[in-house]
Amino acid sequence: MDGIGATHIDHIVIASNDSGAVAETFRRNLGLEIKRTMTRPGTGAQLAFAKLQEVVLEFAGPPEPKPGEEVRARLWGLVLAVRDIRAAVERLRAFGCEVGEPKPAVQPGALIATVKTGTHGVPFALIQYDAIPPATGASA
Amino acid sequence: MLTKIHHVGIVVHSADEALKFYRDALGLPVTADKVIEDQGVRGVLLQIGNSEIELLEPTRDDTGVARFLASRGEGMHHICFESDDVAKELEAARQKGIELIDQAPRVGLAGMICFLHPRSNHGVLVEFATPIEGQHGH
Repeated sequence: MDGIGATHIDHIVIASNDSGAVAETFRRNLGLEIKRTMTRPGTGAQLAFAKLQEVVLEFAGPPEPKPGEEVRARLWGLVLAVRDIRAAVERLRAFGCEVGEPKPAVQPGALIATVKTGTHGVPFALIQYDAIPPATGASA
Repeated sequence: MLTKIHHVGIVVHSADEALKFYRDALGLPVTADKVIEDQGVRGVLLQIGNSEIELLEPTRDDTGVARFLASRGEGMHHICFESDDVAKELEAARQKGIELIDQAPRVGLAGMICFLHPRSNHGVLVEFATPIEGQHGH
């Protein structure tokens, strides 16, 4: 495998205290189309998504913005798409990085693993799509 | 029109140290590695898919990148959108009343570039770039 087999930047996370307001500013200022919004299961985090070619911009914020608080955002983290997440994790571990075990991602059929050290200040994860075969629905 | 994410900029203490992760461990190829004297940075671009990751190492202490590093430490610094006409993007931003850092496009590592002021985007530093034909593989 050539490196970790990364194919592209899958998404870039922009964290804020009001994801809806930040997504709207990016739409207005840059002409980005906000294609989808959702509430993250479990945490209630509010997410909005724009996409340019292969890269998704993920605007992430808390369940409820605090009234009257100035909206603040920052570039937060990166997720790279890889062809074989288990091989990628093993390679990074061999380089001395601490990497979490791959686990199911929010995206159906995908596995995600967090790279915890060595990234030079960037929260970092790897994702492999089509890593979990879909349930067939057949019953015995 | 913004066509893609050209790159994301990451400020680091040492590009050589960061390359051990981004080039050697991840396996991303370096497409440009240059010291930009007037900006006081060494910039290294690494290709990933249709985009790039830009490592920025300050080469002196009196620059925005150096101040970012001193106040926030290593991490993501800016996002760059590619356009086929950076001057047109800049003028459109001006017409919208967006606060600008650059009043006119200038030459940068990614081609003809300009920056919007982070105040205009809730603290996120945004760059526009139009690659120059023949420059580092674009």
